Amino acid sequence: MTTLTLDALTRIYGTSRALDGVSLTLTGGEVHALMGENGAGKSTLIRLIAGLERPDTGKLRLDGQPVTFDSPAAAQAAGLRFIHQELHVVPALSVAENMHLSLPYPRRLGLIRWSALADAAGTALARLGLSQIDPRQPMSRLGPGDQMLTRIAATLIGTEARPWLYVMDEPTAALTGAEAERLFTVIAELKSQGAGILYVSHRMAEVMRLSDRVTVLRDGKLITTTPRAGTDQTRLIHAMTGRDLSAMFPPRTLHNNEGARRAEERPQGPALTLTCLTAPNLHQITLTLAPGEVLGVTGLSGSGRGALLRALMGALPLTSGKITLNGQPVTLTSPAEAWTKGIAYVPRERRTEGLISGGTVVENVTLPHLTALARARRFRNRPRERALLADVAMAVRLKSTGPAQPVGQLSGGNQQKVLFARAIAGAPQVLLLDEPTRGVDVGAKFDIYRLIRQFCDDGLAVIFASSDLPEIIGLSDRIAVLQSGHLAHLVPNRDMTEAALLSLCYDQPPAKASA
Amino acid sequence: MTHILRRHGGLLGMVAIVLIFWALLPETFMTAQNWLNISQQIAMLLVVAAVMTVVMVMGDFDLSVGAMASLAGVLAAVLFTLGVPVWAALLAALAVGLLGGLINGVLVSLVGILPFVATLATLTIYSGLAFLVSDGRTIFGRDIPEGFGNFARGGIPLWTVDERTTVFPNLTLVAIAVTLLIWIVLEQTTYGRRLYAIGGNRDAARLAGVRVSALRLSAFAFTGVGAALAGLMYASRVASANPTQGDGLMLTAIAAVFLGMTLTENGQPRVLATLAGVVVLGVLDNGLTQLAVNSYVREVLIGLIIVAAVGTSALGRRAITGR
Repeated sequence: MTTLTLDALTRIYGTSRALDGVSLTLTGGEVHALMGENGAGKSTLIRLIAGLERPDTGKLRLDGQPVTFDSPAAAQAAGLRFIHQELHVVPALSVAENMHLSLPYPRRLGLIRWSALADAAGTALARLGLSQIDPRQPMSRLGPGDQMLTRIAATLIGTEARPWLYVMDEPTAALTGAEAERLFTVIAELKSQGAGILYVSHRMAEVMRLSDRVTVLRDGKLITTTPRAGTDQTRLIHAMTGRDLSAMFPPRTLHNNEGARRAEERPQGPALTLTCLTAPNLHQITLTLAPGEVLGVTGLSGSGRGALLRALMGALPLTSGKITLNGQPVTLTSPAEAWTKGIAYVPRERRTEGLISGGTVVENVTLPHLTALARARRFRNRPRERALLADVAMAVRLKSTGPAQPVGQLSGGNQQKVLFARAIAGAPQVLLLDEPTRGVDVGAKFDIYRLIRQFCDDGLAVIFASSDLPEIIGLSDRIAVLQSGHLAHLVPNRDMTEAALLSLCYDQPPAKASA
Repeated sequence: MTHILRRHGGLLGMVAIVLIFWALLPETFMTAQNWLNISQQIAMLLVVAAVMTVVMVMGDFDLSVGAMASLAGVLAAVLFTLGVPVWAALLAALAVGLLGGLINGVLVSLVGILPFVATLATLTIYSGLAFLVSDGRTIFGRDIPEGFGNFARGGIPLWTVDERTTVFPNLTLVAIAVTLLIWIVLEQTTYGRRLYAIGGNRDAARLAGVRVSALRLSAFAFTGVGAALAGLMYASRVASANPTQGDGLMLTAIAAVFLGMTLTENGQPRVLATLAGVVVLGVLDNGLTQLAVNSYVREVLIGLIIVAAVGTSALGRRAITGR
């Protein structure tokens, strides 16, 4: 088996040691998980073995022989391939063309041989058991999961030496459960063909399931490398954070005395009622939500999790059905209306749907609330904007250099907190969260879980959609499972296990749904 | 030092241009009278560029402003020939500007046509209408009421030397008022901040409760009225109207906004930066004319200066961000 050995790699930026004497060995036929919070040094480590940067001290050895990766091409030539969470695909080109973007197209007399192009792509896809993907169709027809799989398959095209080590950086961040399952199958396939995988992920469940060995970095140092069998979730979290976190999720105070007392102080009756809500990709959804309740919404890809939230936000036109907010029937035809009626939203795609790029922290947080803050409802009131920001930034534990800091400079977790601050700044009654912990590190996840719990202790009704089953189970009071736009199950979250919840996601839709 | 150069290079360049003209034209350039002349020459451009900034803040364009200026000018002139009172003719011309802007807004925000395509089409339509309304003729002389033509020549008296009274031109006052209004709208109202949010990320702005369609529509209406106003100012200044006299304003206005964007911190369009851009173009035009530079050469030079300014700004930004 080929091996790549990292020998006491150190990389220093300015005065901080981004990577500090890290040694480990990556072997073909093995899945090696790399964990750590943001800033732990994972990205630096990847950049060093990708040939994007050089270590200040330390060496790389390929099968024991010292090697220098002074360019990405050198790392490629050594059989390394990198699969990033950001997919750079050209949607309008075919799958086969996308797979050849960094490769020479097969040509005859200078003209492209389209059939050979498709055949090469098809062969590579088949090698990973992906024959169901037609290489001639446009990339835009595939979901993000299949797009990623085609990128992996593309590394198998060509006659040069077969790559033996795949570095996957947060590969499932953008994938739904079903898409992730297909990726895991492909990883197993690659491993059985003798390839090694360096698997970087925040998601504990995936790491525990896929990896043979686990390495944890913290503050640039290697904390531990252990066989997966010799460790568990608690120990890994301890290694990553350096502190004991007995439980991933804060307790549900609704069920203790303090929570019960506060619940009694609230107005009676549901905060939100949906009656036979129908919209594109949603069919006859009926449910109620009490103040202070957390409803977890889950389901497979395309089940309508996100569509439900968008419909409640007025971003998706309803074809029929009724929404009642605090006993008052409401019609929501735009997100602007939803915000003014006390519905707040944290969208799924932080960068494309959430943040105003180039905007500052205060601009991003106050955007939905500008009218409420304005003088005479028209003129900007900067002192009030900043005062509000100060309040909510404290509430969400936002770490920024100040209100004028551009949001682009913040870490993923803090960007997410900006969106949370925006959501709660208007004192909403209903909070809609779509994949609220996507791509944020463990520490920020804890903060976000605690925030959600705290919001509903304050009487907020929360609906959060997630494909992360442990998160659904850890946070929800009740769980709604959607299947192809139908509400298939609505169950109290009592003694729920991941396996049980997954089977609820997969089972046949109930009879009424087929009508 | 290099950082200052990169960050404020554009501004320094503009100052340099002024200094060069001052040195080459020591007698005439740096005089109050010349600057008042420049201010009057650029007044129309400033109005169009200021309202163009409003749509460019959202990442949109309005190519129809020049044609609209021409249409408004000839429409008012034709109404004058029909004996319509001046105030009514002006109101009618501004109303047509509003209508034309609303049509642009509907096409862009409700129908969903790209601004470039939609306003290119309406440019052709408004230009054709200007020829239709005027029958292709220039309207001048006795057809233009004296009061209308006198407005552009008049102003607030400043001082008198040898029987000649220097005035602060009315057109300059109008342009300053429009610029001030746009500054208040863009920088001091929630409306303006929402336009900037749309420019930053349209989808995110919509999901954060910004009524994107309504705002885009209204911003285009704003621009239409501004273009019509500029057309009327033009007609007053030359005391005549022909169906193409405003056409040149569009490209120059866009150039002025782009020049201004090189001065702002993150390359956003801001109306005061647009003002600086307009002044630079006005100064160049004025200075080169006084130096008796051939007008074709002048156009080439101005184009080159725009490329140089925007190009160095792009390179400087890349050096700062490291991309």
